Amino acid sequence: MIALASTVLLSACAADRPDPVRIVGSSTIFPFAAKTAETYSERTGVAVVVEQTGSGGGHKLFCSGNPSIDATTSSRPQKPSETALCEANGVTPIAEIRLGFDGIVLARAIDAAPMDIDQLTLYSALARDLPTSGTDCTPIPNPYQRWSEIDPSLPADVIKVYGPPPTSGTRDAFVETAMETGARRFPCLADMERDTPNIFRARVHNLREDSYWVDAGENDNALIRTLANTPTAIGVFGFSFLDQNTDKVSGIAIGGVRPSQTSIRNRTYPVVRDLFLYFRGGSDPNVLGYAAEFTSDEASGAGGYLEEIGLIPLPDEERAAMRQRVESAAMPGGSAR
Amino acid sequence: MSVDKDTRRGLFANPAVEARMRKRRGAERRFRAYGRAAVAFSIAALAWLLISIVSTGASAFTQHWVTLDLNLAPKDTDTIPNDRRRLADALAQAFDVPSNEETRRELLQIISASAATADIRQRHDEAMAIKITVPTSDLADQFLKGHIDPALPQGQRPITDRQISWIAILDAEGRINRRFNRGLFGNPDSRDPERAGLASAIFGSAMIILIAGALALPVGIGAAIYLDSFAPQTGWGGRLTRFLEVNINNLAAVPSIVFGLLGLAVFINFFGLQRSIPLVGGLVLALRMFPTIVIASRAALRVVPDSLTDSALSLGASPMQAVFNHRVPLAAPGMLTGSIIGMAQALGETAPLLMIGMVAFVTSVPSSPMDPATALPVQIFLWSGSAEAAWAERTSAAITVLLAILMIINGAAIIWRERLQRRRKL
Amino acid sequence: MNDPVPIYMLVIVGALMMGAYRVVYGRAARLVMPDVSGPVSTRAQPRHHARLAAALTGLIGVGVYLAGLSLRGPTPSASLDGLWLLACVAIPMLPMALSIRNVRPDFAARTHIERMAETGLMLLALVALLTTVGIVASLVFEATLFFQDVSILEFLFGTHWSPQTAIRAGESGQSGAFGAVPVFAGTFLITLIAMAVAGPIGLMVAIYLSEYASPRTRGIAKPVIEVLAGIPTVVYGFFALISVGPAIRDAAAWMGADVATQSSLAAGLVMGVMIIPLVSSLSDDVIRAVPQSLRDGSTALGATKSETLIRVVFRSALPGIIGAFLLAISRAIGETMIVVMAAGRAANLSANPFDAVTTVTVQIVALLTGDQVFDSPRTLAAFALGLVLFVITLLLNIGALAVVNRYRTRFE
Repeated sequence: MIALASTVLLSACAADRPDPVRIVGSSTIFPFAAKTAETYSERTGVAVVVEQTGSGGGHKLFCSGNPSIDATTSSRPQKPSETALCEANGVTPIAEIRLGFDGIVLARAIDAAPMDIDQLTLYSALARDLPTSGTDCTPIPNPYQRWSEIDPSLPADVIKVYGPPPTSGTRDAFVETAMETGARRFPCLADMERDTPNIFRARVHNLREDSYWVDAGENDNALIRTLANTPTAIGVFGFSFLDQNTDKVSGIAIGGVRPSQTSIRNRTYPVVRDLFLYFRGGSDPNVLGYAAEFTSDEASGAGGYLEEIGLIPLPDEERAAMRQRVESAAMPGGSAR
Repeated sequence: MSVDKDTRRGLFANPAVEARMRKRRGAERRFRAYGRAAVAFSIAALAWLLISIVSTGASAFTQHWVTLDLNLAPKDTDTIPNDRRRLADALAQAFDVPSNEETRRELLQIISASAATADIRQRHDEAMAIKITVPTSDLADQFLKGHIDPALPQGQRPITDRQISWIAILDAEGRINRRFNRGLFGNPDSRDPERAGLASAIFGSAMIILIAGALALPVGIGAAIYLDSFAPQTGWGGRLTRFLEVNINNLAAVPSIVFGLLGLAVFINFFGLQRSIPLVGGLVLALRMFPTIVIASRAALRVVPDSLTDSALSLGASPMQAVFNHRVPLAAPGMLTGSIIGMAQALGETAPLLMIGMVAFVTSVPSSPMDPATALPVQIFLWSGSAEAAWAERTSAAITVLLAILMIINGAAIIWRERLQRRRKL
Repeated sequence: MNDPVPIYMLVIVGALMMGAYRVVYGRAARLVMPDVSGPVSTRAQPRHHARLAAALTGLIGVGVYLAGLSLRGPTPSASLDGLWLLACVAIPMLPMALSIRNVRPDFAARTHIERMAETGLMLLALVALLTTVGIVASLVFEATLFFQDVSILEFLFGTHWSPQTAIRAGESGQSGAFGAVPVFAGTFLITLIAMAVAGPIGLMVAIYLSEYASPRTRGIAKPVIEVLAGIPTVVYGFFALISVGPAIRDAAAWMGADVATQSSLAAGLVMGVMIIPLVSSLSDDVIRAVPQSLRDGSTALGATKSETLIRVVFRSALPGIIGAFLLAISRAIGETMIVVMAAGRAANLSANPFDAVTTVTVQIVALLTGDQVFDSPRTLAAFALGLVLFVITLLLNIGALAVVNRYRTRFE
């Protein structure tokens, strides 16, 4: 009976089902990560699971050392505090791959009047508190209720903007590019940035909470319907989403430039950000295969299936460099940043 | 003593009385009309719900497929092979248009490019003429089903004039046919609506319900039997019994999201189980089902007359024998029906599963309770969030499938109960 | 991570159980063989001896297995596992031997096994207690962590809800106010709308079907209305999103008002329709329980049917109906999917049913289906909300039960 038992024990050790590849991270990159996962899974039979946690949450999970999380996507670069967390938990070396560009757009229903906003107006409309004047930085709560109060050339619509919640990398990118640029036009705030950049950032990144700015959830369907029903409302989201719904919403020009594949690619549209993928160097080949699929021509190249769903591809040389990074990350200890 | 009609009428011939009686009879008629209106409203609401969902979803059960003859260029061995580009070039050649970025993009949007690319990847690398049959893209599918209005100006619809003309050419050549959408049932979830299916969701739900049932049924029925026949009714034991009964009644009315919170705090955080696996879903739903099963089983046991148990006891049976050989078999049909109906309710639960993380995108059908998966109602919730028309159609179809499954389960339970009751003639 | 737990040891324990059963059964069966004149009376049947043997063997075996499992360190060693296996095989042999010895005419095996079974059933019933304790413990534990950061008073009475605090330095967030009054107000508003629909309609349905309808009508209408109760709430949510919401918006636009798609009116209406069967069936039971003598007396005094129903039956059934309403309110408060899909997330303090509002359940979902961090006030706020939800539904249920019980004694 003991012999029988020991043979069963040995056979139990041998059987080992491959773990699925788990990706967490940005909800903007989620459609791209999921499509890549599907193609990769179909090609190789490896199971992939993609979860939307927001860029911040993705970094937190990835850097917590949880062995089942293999990679995270992020619509902003990893912050130093997050890198420190990764190192503290032994998640090193980390490979950072740029996947492409995305623009952050403001959009209205397709039958609404077109608008052209500049970044100062945007900041004035959405900041939680504004400086009392150009030179006096004492904060007063934002008094504006209509766009025409800020810029008489804009329509007299009530300010109503639906945007990403704070866990979203889109929000981070929006406040860093659009809000900071607008804030700098106040001389006293520009001075504050020069002298005390942390306080400047803390001040400028706060958006209104009095229902002129509304944190929209992940239900795209509802957001589109809301915008369609309220032609005066504006939505803030990634360009990829606008691109998939051009029959229902249209982008608003910022600083005179309307968002499009071209204007984002050559950065004439001012609110552009990079999209990233982070994984561990030397991890198991399935994860590397996934990263390789993500950087392949078919996926994130021009004319690829990710461009079809709104990703703006990197220039070819840069993409080739990223592919190199993936390959060099295959060697243990091969970091690539 | 009989009073004739004239006398009677005379007694009440007072006009004030007549007026009051008319008002009262009017009130009676109005009251009855309110009742009828209430019933009619409820039934009409149900009808509106079912009709709007089934009619939206009906078109998702068919899918347009297209057969293409393509001349593929050889696979480029210098650079990394790009089968999608080969597909696009072949399509451009087939439609006799120049192959530039814009036309390639539009061409790939009328068929299911990912299905076609997967097909081509498996073929030979040299130049060859092939015939492939793939689903049309969701855009073309919606257009062919009539859900996109071609009369709208081009900027206001998702399909361009050129794409419409290409689809017309394919249709005229007889290459497009409409088939039953087997992929809806056989495929796992996908980012492309034309390839998305419910296989992962149905398997996940099946595993969750099996695990939940396997845990909740024995425990629930055992608890019901205990409370019905063995629990002490007096003294401290009696107090405990009544406390347990109050507890179970309360648990049955606790919102299901609280069970999700419990699952998150205990199973995932404390015990460290993985997120989004059917095992944890099954555990959480077992807790959810448990009070319902206890209450249904107790109701079934209560119907059995005590005289049966008493007579068994008087003939020398032990309490355990009296209960298990006499009471339980008679209550069994009711107990099982109640349990099955409880399981059907668990099939529709979404909120607890959201809490334990079953909202991930999973690429393959799960093969064990430890594989990440999703469940049918969660899949419906996820699909309902996407804005494209093709997803609305498929969400409605998924709901139709869910409702059909529930109807079958509930119907089977009721029929089974009728048959067992007829046999046992209580 | 793939460290195989020797489940096969449980298989071995199972085999030992079966062996014990067979051995003891055979021995006990031979006991009854008449090798003396006259019958030999035993205190138990062979199967009882056998079951007791199997149960004792199994319990000890599983106990050894679990003990070994908990003592096992993070790295399994073959020698310790071998020792564990030996223990799993050898130790259950002891109760087996004991049982074999106990196969005697005067040993009341049946009593023992039945007492064990009864204890087992009691433990199953205690699962309910365990679940409640688990729910309360986990909610209270996490909520206490939350209340270390945010004061209870601010939570219960503050009027500014923006819980999305920065999770780490450098992330922009909302201001981190946790005043839950707007959230409670949203729940209250939607529940009010739902009960305004379900209350009168459910009651009238119950009255009509039990008092006025022919048996045939009742036989058809009642199951049809019960179907409303069986439809999953995610389906109702989707229905609200694609049909009811746009219909309300169109109707309001036709009347000249400007209405969002995600409104509390849409969610409330659909939730009301969902609750109708609950109110109807509970009220039906209550109305039928009113004694016929009261109805007859009223009719004898010349009242029309509706007058009897309103003035006599309804009045006497009122406590029961209130209990039914309380249960329905409890159901409406705890409902999640309909409001998540149809009512939106804006935490407004708005009495306008055409605005988007948020409820307790929507906030719980929003806070937890995103960042999973268990040491920040944001995710813990979900548990605080969950605790409030649990307590309120508990109070409503107990209240309903109390009201119904007092009502039942009226007629006895």
